[in-house]
Amino acid sequence: MKFLIEDVTVYFPYDHIYPEQYSYMIELKRALDAKGHCLLEMPTGTGKTIALLSLITSYSFSRPHTPIKLIYCTRTVHEMEKTLAELTLLHNYQVKHLGPQARILAIGLSSRKNLCVNPTVVASENRDSVDAGCRKLTASWVRAMAAENPDVPTCEFFENYEKAASAAVLPPGVYTLQELRAFGKQKGWCPYFLARHMVQVANVVVYSYQYLLDPKVAGIISKEMQKESVVVFDEAHNIDNVCIEALSVSIRRQTLEGATRNLSRISQEIDGFKATDASRLRTEYNRLVEGLALRGNLPIADNWLSNPALPDDILKEAVPGNIRKAEHFLHVLRRLVQYLSGRLDTENVEKESPVGFVASISSHAGIDQKTLKFCYDRLHSLMLTLEITDTDEFLHIQTICDFATLVGTYGRGFSIIIEPFDERMPSIPDPILQLSCHDASLAIKPVFERFQSVVITSGTLSPIDLFPRLLDFHPVVSRSFKMSLTRDCICPMVLTRGSDQLPVSTKFDMRSDPGVVRNYGKLLLEMVSVVPDGIVCFFVSYSYMDGIINTWNDTGILKDIMQHKLVFIETQDVVETTLALDNYRRACDCGRGAVFFSVARGKVAEGIDFDRHYGRLVIMFGVPFQYTLSKLEYLRDTFQIKEGDFLTFDALQRQAAQCVGRVIRSKADYGMMIFADKRYSQHDKRSKLPSWILSHLQDANLNLSTDMALHIAREFLRKMAQPYDKTGSSDRKTLLSQEDLEKMGDGSMHEMLY
Amino acid sequence: MHLLNLILQTSSFGVFTSSRLFFPLRLPATFSFALQIFPSRSTISFSHYNIHKTMASGLVTKRAKYKTTIKDPGTPGHLRMTLEKILFMPHNPKSAGKLDVEFRYIKGQKHTKEGSNKPPWLNLTNNQNGSFIFEFENYSDLQDCRDFVGKVLAKSGEVSEKPTVAYPDEQLSAAEMELRIKLLQEDSELQKLHKQFVLSGVLTEAEFWATRKKLLDREASKKMKQRLGFKSAMVSDIKPSTDGRTNKVTFNLTPEIILQIFAEKPAVHRAFLSYVPNKMSERNFWTKYFRAEYLHSTKNSIAAAAEAAEDEELAVFLKQDDILASEARKKIRRVDPTLDMEADEGDDYTHLPDHGIFRDGNKEMTESQNELYKRTLSQDINRHAAVVLEGRAVDAEFEDTKAVAEALAQSKRESSNKGESDGDTSRERLDRLSRMTEIEDLQGSNNLPLAPLCIKDPRDYFDSQQANALRTSGDALGGTEQIKCSLSILEVYSSLRESISSIKAMGWKEPIVKPEAAHQVFDALTNSISNTKHNIGKNPQESVLDRLPRKTKEELLHIWTSILELLKHFWASYPITTSYLYAKVNRLKDAMSNIYPQLEEIKGSVPSEFRHQVSLLVRPMHQALDAAIQHYEASMQKRSTQSGEKPNGYV
Repeated sequence: MKFLIEDVTVYFPYDHIYPEQYSYMIELKRALDAKGHCLLEMPTGTGKTIALLSLITSYSFSRPHTPIKLIYCTRTVHEMEKTLAELTLLHNYQVKHLGPQARILAIGLSSRKNLCVNPTVVASENRDSVDAGCRKLTASWVRAMAAENPDVPTCEFFENYEKAASAAVLPPGVYTLQELRAFGKQKGWCPYFLARHMVQVANVVVYSYQYLLDPKVAGIISKEMQKESVVVFDEAHNIDNVCIEALSVSIRRQTLEGATRNLSRISQEIDGFKATDASRLRTEYNRLVEGLALRGNLPIADNWLSNPALPDDILKEAVPGNIRKAEHFLHVLRRLVQYLSGRLDTENVEKESPVGFVASISSHAGIDQKTLKFCYDRLHSLMLTLEITDTDEFLHIQTICDFATLVGTYGRGFSIIIEPFDERMPSIPDPILQLSCHDASLAIKPVFERFQSVVITSGTLSPIDLFPRLLDFHPVVSRSFKMSLTRDCICPMVLTRGSDQLPVSTKFDMRSDPGVVRNYGKLLLEMVSVVPDGIVCFFVSYSYMDGIINTWNDTGILKDIMQHKLVFIETQDVVETTLALDNYRRACDCGRGAVFFSVARGKVAEGIDFDRHYGRLVIMFGVPFQYTLSKLEYLRDTFQIKEGDFLTFDALQRQAAQCVGRVIRSKADYGMMIFADKRYSQHDKRSKLPSWILSHLQDANLNLSTDMALHIAREFLRKMAQPYDKTGSSDRKTLLSQEDLEKMGDGSMHEMLY
Repeated sequence: MHLLNLILQTSSFGVFTSSRLFFPLRLPATFSFALQIFPSRSTISFSHYNIHKTMASGLVTKRAKYKTTIKDPGTPGHLRMTLEKILFMPHNPKSAGKLDVEFRYIKGQKHTKEGSNKPPWLNLTNNQNGSFIFEFENYSDLQDCRDFVGKVLAKSGEVSEKPTVAYPDEQLSAAEMELRIKLLQEDSELQKLHKQFVLSGVLTEAEFWATRKKLLDREASKKMKQRLGFKSAMVSDIKPSTDGRTNKVTFNLTPEIILQIFAEKPAVHRAFLSYVPNKMSERNFWTKYFRAEYLHSTKNSIAAAAEAAEDEELAVFLKQDDILASEARKKIRRVDPTLDMEADEGDDYTHLPDHGIFRDGNKEMTESQNELYKRTLSQDINRHAAVVLEGRAVDAEFEDTKAVAEALAQSKRESSNKGESDGDTSRERLDRLSRMTEIEDLQGSNNLPLAPLCIKDPRDYFDSQQANALRTSGDALGGTEQIKCSLSILEVYSSLRESISSIKAMGWKEPIVKPEAAHQVFDALTNSISNTKHNIGKNPQESVLDRLPRKTKEELLHIWTSILELLKHFWASYPITTSYLYAKVNRLKDAMSNIYPQLEEIKGSVPSEFRHQVSLLVRPMHQALDAAIQHYEASMQKRSTQSGEKPNGYV
């Protein structure tokens, strides 16, 4: 359908539109007009992504002279694929109705691991070895060597791509990762470098958050994006964590051991070069004197992860004299590693500020702050000089340099915590030194400054005033939309008692109680016999899930569950989890029905949708609290956010809502959610749940036992099976056709919605 | 011949089942394991179709005349047909009409129709376009022979796959034949009826199927077979049994279980193929396997590692399955991209080793040495569910472990070949993806492919469904709610007028009937249907039938379905226009009158406390039969009065 929002004709690929989507577009358009940032919250199941894509592309068509580029950031690769699939749908529609002028170039960008088509390289296990494998074939010195000696292997795809030079372009269209690979294979060009190149000219770029937020990656991928871009962070409720993690490093014993090995390898290399090609080291020294830590324009294939600190914080000055010489730099690193390993030998938990830590390094190891700050770039330069291609072997020393640079650059917003053992297993010494960032605004600040509009959107951003404070920015539009439902298609329940009427909880003193475990099992067993298709269960942690599954297996509950549905479990192995998920979906598709056991805060909870028949019921066993006290103190001191507030906000708003919030895809969809813990019935906890859940939580469902919950579930499912009028009752429409939109002007629209 | 093989096999199964392999074994632990390997315990149920009385003997002998041409008056003699041959022995041994033809030379058959004014002829064509014509004494002989020839041809057609000439009337192709056999195998009720009526000659083969054309059509068009899947229970749930006196543990293994073990653990499968029987006996193999499982169940990875170091064969079972790992890498490429979390690792710069903040669970305990021997329950559960979902690759039943292992290996090779050549998967993936991304209620729906449900025993299924419906509707109503169900004519009329006028005024509304109203009616109907069956019993969950002795219940139900079948044919035969139908009606009537004594017998056999209920149940059967027989007699009377006026050929 096609309709007007103020002066913009919006092309929307469906015959109908939800009123929420319409008003979402209006707000978004205002933010674009104002060239400012905005914060939009709209519950899941209302088609945010397609609304956003439709408006921004249509906006761009309506202003052909000042085209805007859309940078769409997703949290994960599979969300990227989903977005690109929606974009394909939209693009086909727009080309059909608008003709060739609607043609745009949209690409998804990922790492070499997901884009490489060279069979020998891509066979490697992880990203770093794929990167290294690629570098071994494409580094400038390797290619120079191959020019002289044909026996040196190179990558034919990269060579072809280089040969084609400026002719290597992607024709307009929407390219998912798979299509990029297919295109690259067909043309014989390297899809990774082609995509990297096309990012500069594409109208829509879809990639991971980290390509903008993590300075290490952003520095090489996103540095040339123009200011007239709209940056969208979708599913942004966790964006503060991403920002924080981008700037956090942790060091363990293994890291230090690995770093020591790396250092001795580097020193061998240096000796080798001294003997054969001493001039090279001298050239590097001269360059460093001039203050260029890196040559200005590296060949595209030589790039690696750039400096972990943000570009604005790096001083443009000469590298300090004491690390200009390769041997001296090695000595500095050796001392640093030694110092860190000394610090790891502690018996108590220690907490320190970066300033104190730097002072202590300076006095004990004789390394000053400025030297620390340059560690990363100096290492990079050295490795290029030494022509090291197997960079995956040098991750450990890289980590140490990351740490040094960060600790040398930032005086506030960080803390250093040394823990001698894992709190769950105090008997096993496993010391860890963490540099944790507390200030999410640090990493995202350059993004807000660089781009004209940044859109932060998600299903749950409330309390909506928290995010501007956490991320330290000033949105021009900040709105939260309610979802208008045609029927009560969400049925949240709070289960406080098991079938024997005893309370259930994952509270520390109760979680291992066999009665609780049995009651949880009985609850699931009853539900699998009633609920069709898919059921998802979330547990508070891996260890708790493992324990409970083992107990259920021993007591035979698991076997009974299997009589009704197949069981799949999230494990820490990503490959296995992915396959389990795929099988889970197939089991739901074919009607066999399945249960998926997952962990709140786990990878599945973060990004996999359990909409429609993939999740008719979500059971949340317990309350997923997280305790990181240092972060809380910082928040309290800096942003005046109360600890308790943040904790419940984090546990309930985000994690619980995250887990249960992915069951609804559209208004025709329906699902139930059971919060199985007595603590959910307390008002202070419950009231922190997202409002779209709260509004459906009836008082009668607040304090249920298993048999009552079962009864409610039966009733609900029967109700949902009845046919209904999809457009809603006449006074409150929940689905609009083109006609409806034309009939009412903006004014009546608003009246109707609010 | 296929048929004979089947019967022979069945008898040999009987022998196998009685002889269990039983061997106690000593193990270093205080336990000792013993192993029993049963040959397939599931009884082979073959179709009664095949053991037609003529077929069972594999022999038909009839008096007939052999004619070389149609004009030929024919040589009288005996026609003898076996599964392989057609033999014709003239009465007069000196006459020239002796015939000895093998069935494989016979291509097809034609025959004259009953009711036409030709004698009962059977014309067998051979593959040189010659033909043998037999004239029988009566049509029933012709029918027997015709059916026999049909079946034999169908069998041989299967083997040689010669295109059989399709005759519009009775000639059955091999495929049709197979289909019928399959239908009978799948539906035990149908099989019983078929056995009762066709084999006893009440109905002919053609008549029996004529009323079930739809069944044949639909089955033929979709040609899909529902295969038996794996059991939902995990193999590890197979608990060993102890005899209580000694420390001996006995595991019972059936080919079914073995197949499942092989499917879930390819490494065990591979080990079996390479070790047995060259390196060790099957018994030793399984003993080692269960020893490994036992070690694994103790969750002591250090002990497992120690044992594995000593015994390399045992280590195979204890180690992580390397075949699984490589399969997983292959499968991950075909996974739905919208949930490919493995791809995320490529873009994930925060979960680099040593980057980001440690979260719960991301911290792993690394026991590099013993890691190899650690297998978690989660892995087992995932693997099991995946195998169950995939279904059985191997369909046949085996009595031998070796055969199981080889068949599985074979099917794996096939599927891997297919997987490589199959380029459609990416297309399919894209289709699925686009379907996933669409928002369903903003756009018209597209129909998802459905797998048809095949119900083996309809009665069992629908009875349980009905009990459920009754229970839930009982829940919903929460008690007895009187629905006013008698309306006066005036009321009906006024309500009709009202609704017509409202339609006139407002046009059709969607939906025409309010869903709530429809649901209520539906509920009430379900209730009343169930009630007719249940309300004699006190408890609505338990029908009166369930309280009768099992045997009586079965008999009653069976007689009821037979009566229905007979009545269906009976009423369908009217009006009688041909002598064929006349004969059929007579046959049916005889069969029906045979049922009366059966009913009496049932009534007599039940204990006195049930007698009343049984007679209540029997009454409608009586009524139905009575009505049919009355009609029969009335029409007979009419005919006999009419036959005087109409002497022209009607019998």
